[in-house]
Amino acid sequence: MNWLFVEKLNKRFGGLVAVRDFDMTVEEREIVGLIGPNGAGKTTVFNIIACYYQPDSGRVIFQGKDLVGMKPFHVCKLGIARTFQVTKPFINNTVLENVMVGAFIRTSNTRLAKKKALEILEELDFLEQKDALGIELTTVDHKRLELARALATDPKLLLLDEVMAGLTPAEKMSMLNLLRNIQKQGITLIVVEHDMKAVMNLCERIILMHRGEKLIEGPPSLVANNPRAIAAYLGEDYATA
Amino acid sequence: MSAELLLSASVMGLLLGGLYASVAIGLSLIFGIIRVINFAHGGFLMMAMYASFWLWYFFQINPYLSIIVVVPLFFFFGYIVQNTLIKPMFVRERALVVEPLGVLLLMAGFDLVLANLALLFFKSDYRAIVSPIASATISLEFIELNVPRFIVLVLSFIITGGLTWLMNYTEIGVAIRAVGQNREAAALCGINVYKIYNITFGLGTAAVALAGAAMVPFYYVNPSMGLPLGVKSFIVVVLGGLGSIPGALLGGLILGIIESITAQFVTSTSAVIFSFLLFIIVLFVRPKGLMGIIEA
Amino acid sequence: MNKTNKEILKKFREGEEKFLLGKIAIIFFAIIFLIIPLFVRDPYFLHIFVLVFFFAYLGTAWSLVSMAGQLSLGHAALLGIGGYTSTLMFMEWGITPWLGMIFGAAFSGLVGLIIGYPTFRLKGPYFALTTIAFAEILRIYVENTEIGPFNIPLRAAMGLLVPLKGHAPSVFQFANKEAYYYIIFAMMCGAIFLSYTINRRRMGFYLAAIRSDQDGAEALGINSTKYKLIAMIISCILTAIGGTFYAQYFRYINPERAMGLGMSIEIALVGVIGGWQTVLGPTIGSLLLSPSGELIRAYLGGTYAGLHLFIYGLLLMIVILFLPNGLNDPIIKALKRLNNCLRRYPAKKELDIIKSKS
Repeated sequence: MNWLFVEKLNKRFGGLVAVRDFDMTVEEREIVGLIGPNGAGKTTVFNIIACYYQPDSGRVIFQGKDLVGMKPFHVCKLGIARTFQVTKPFINNTVLENVMVGAFIRTSNTRLAKKKALEILEELDFLEQKDALGIELTTVDHKRLELARALATDPKLLLLDEVMAGLTPAEKMSMLNLLRNIQKQGITLIVVEHDMKAVMNLCERIILMHRGEKLIEGPPSLVANNPRAIAAYLGEDYATA
Repeated sequence: MSAELLLSASVMGLLLGGLYASVAIGLSLIFGIIRVINFAHGGFLMMAMYASFWLWYFFQINPYLSIIVVVPLFFFFGYIVQNTLIKPMFVRERALVVEPLGVLLLMAGFDLVLANLALLFFKSDYRAIVSPIASATISLEFIELNVPRFIVLVLSFIITGGLTWLMNYTEIGVAIRAVGQNREAAALCGINVYKIYNITFGLGTAAVALAGAAMVPFYYVNPSMGLPLGVKSFIVVVLGGLGSIPGALLGGLILGIIESITAQFVTSTSAVIFSFLLFIIVLFVRPKGLMGIIEA
Repeated sequence: MNKTNKEILKKFREGEEKFLLGKIAIIFFAIIFLIIPLFVRDPYFLHIFVLVFFFAYLGTAWSLVSMAGQLSLGHAALLGIGGYTSTLMFMEWGITPWLGMIFGAAFSGLVGLIIGYPTFRLKGPYFALTTIAFAEILRIYVENTEIGPFNIPLRAAMGLLVPLKGHAPSVFQFANKEAYYYIIFAMMCGAIFLSYTINRRRMGFYLAAIRSDQDGAEALGINSTKYKLIAMIISCILTAIGGTFYAQYFRYINPERAMGLGMSIEIALVGVIGGWQTVLGPTIGSLLLSPSGELIRAYLGGTYAGLHLFIYGLLLMIVILFLPNGLNDPIIKALKRLNNCLRRYPAKKELDIIKSKS
């Protein structure tokens, strides 16, 4: 039985078709990459899975439940957590408090939530900053905070939207290791990324989207050499070169 | 209810609507372009009326003539208010201390300051000018039209037309509209956004000052009259549609007519309930209002 | 010094107890307020304290809605609902206001739920304007209605005169000011404690998340509508109870004063100037505004009518321009700095404490 099954998703915004007839299956503990040029519809797919948008048609089946029509908070309770492309920490709260908000989904006890938050911060090597206010953090710390908050909700599936954006190569390396560790803990990852090296390195399977549709799907090596993939990113001229 | 009564109520409503529209148009401009809720709008109206009144009281200047002095004066007043009070709030917004309610509260405080300054200096007596024009009427078939009120109605159309012309046919108007649509893009085109904000706020204040001066012949001036009319202006702006000046005109007229007609059935103080109900309904059902561009 | 005091001081110095000075300050003020009526007999002086506690109570109740991220400028309506319900029940059916208070609170909570549900999704300024609209609708209705639904006489603009029963604690009437003083003091402490508890627990964290970034909050599993409504309902209930106190203390309640925009603004002022989304903010605001406002009104109100409102307006503008989170922030920060100065040893980092414990 498919763990996450997205079937024939369609979404348009006014005259713009963002997602067209999109299918995707994800197995437990996979790391799947979702790539494509800007405007391909990747974030829209995320937003639909997380129920931030409702699709015009199609189904999203997660562990046997159809998610379409649910509210975002309900989806999170079922075990799907997501990060946002534009990171928005709770600016007036400390890092610790930010992560505790995530932890509270599984417990209503402040002490336990704090304990869980501290554990996660330690895992992400973020403990030193625990009392920093959201407003004081650097970009890479924003990303770590987004990740920490999402992890605190004890997710089974983690949707990461451009978590590498804005990081230096060294920071990207440590983020990659982090993500691999997260997968080892049993969490499934779907990653939207623009950094090709990172994606090829991390993902077991890649789905390429272009203009709202799924173009190619397969292991990294297959997708990287596919002329249609190259055409999608760089234009027709390069594909034949 | 007889047709005659309905008709005369409608005409009274039109006159009342003209008053509401004249007062609200300035607010519509300010809100449409700068996107701030000027809670002190009623206070500005009140002050403009006092200015006009005192000019009559001490120098015997006809309120309609006082417009020449009052309107430019209040343009500068509005310019300075935007520049010194509201601009810091925008600058702060950039530093991520987002406070969308800040300007509302700031202007609410300013309104308290203005209303009570007026109370302290001018006392709470109702003021009215004594002039033949105050009671002049035009006789129509079934109703006597009070001339000053009629003038205010005409004025509402003139202000609307004037501002619309300004917005569409002058360079400054195009700049203002550009800033209203997308202030970053406007800045990239070389427009000094804060200066445009100052000018816009000045224009909106000048508009309400114009309305105020024209109201002096028939409306008792008193420190506490600003707030109710200020609140009414919000209703008009939401009803007519945020960001639309013709919408404010339409909204004002409709509000006046509705109030006037319902006042035939319930007491006139109760009729105000319908205005508030209308406001709430519009916000829930059609946030864009009648002709609006921006959604609530 | 006995053993527990020594332990507390040790914890303080070694950095475990973070804010001892704050706790001492609160206990200090609490004790002072408790013993004041024993030494002060002047009823007018006590009246000023009653006003301070009353607006601190209302401000704290009001601030729960602020913590959900919205500014309410219509809270006077809830005050009126509470006061009118308990007073009418007393006047028409002889039911003691102690019981009527519960009905008023329930009714108010219901109103909060029904109105809050569609209104909360409006953006800040529109929510504020809508609260004004609802409150004005209620006020104008009561002001113009002699006989209301179910033939209950609302008495329109005349208001309700609470039948005087002298000293009758069973019907919430007392001959002396001291009783009212202690009651409102207890209410204020209760409201502050409730606000404090909410903020420490999950709901407080959730409300902070919602007002910071509602979408981000929802993505973390927070049902924002539910929590906003809970905050709203609690706020309505507390405010309505305050309305009953108002009616019983002044023994008169009318639409213009109790349900009017002026009252709503006074409540919001106390909250905003003190710190609209903080626990102690409204109390600080009331400590500053209530005595000064009342004294100015009493001594200068004749020749200088409106002076206190002028000052309030000026204070509001200054606070918004320079201290957007209210006076609460600088005061607590100053106290914390003093607190840290008093530590003779450097505060052990909390990190080390955690590491040493695990």
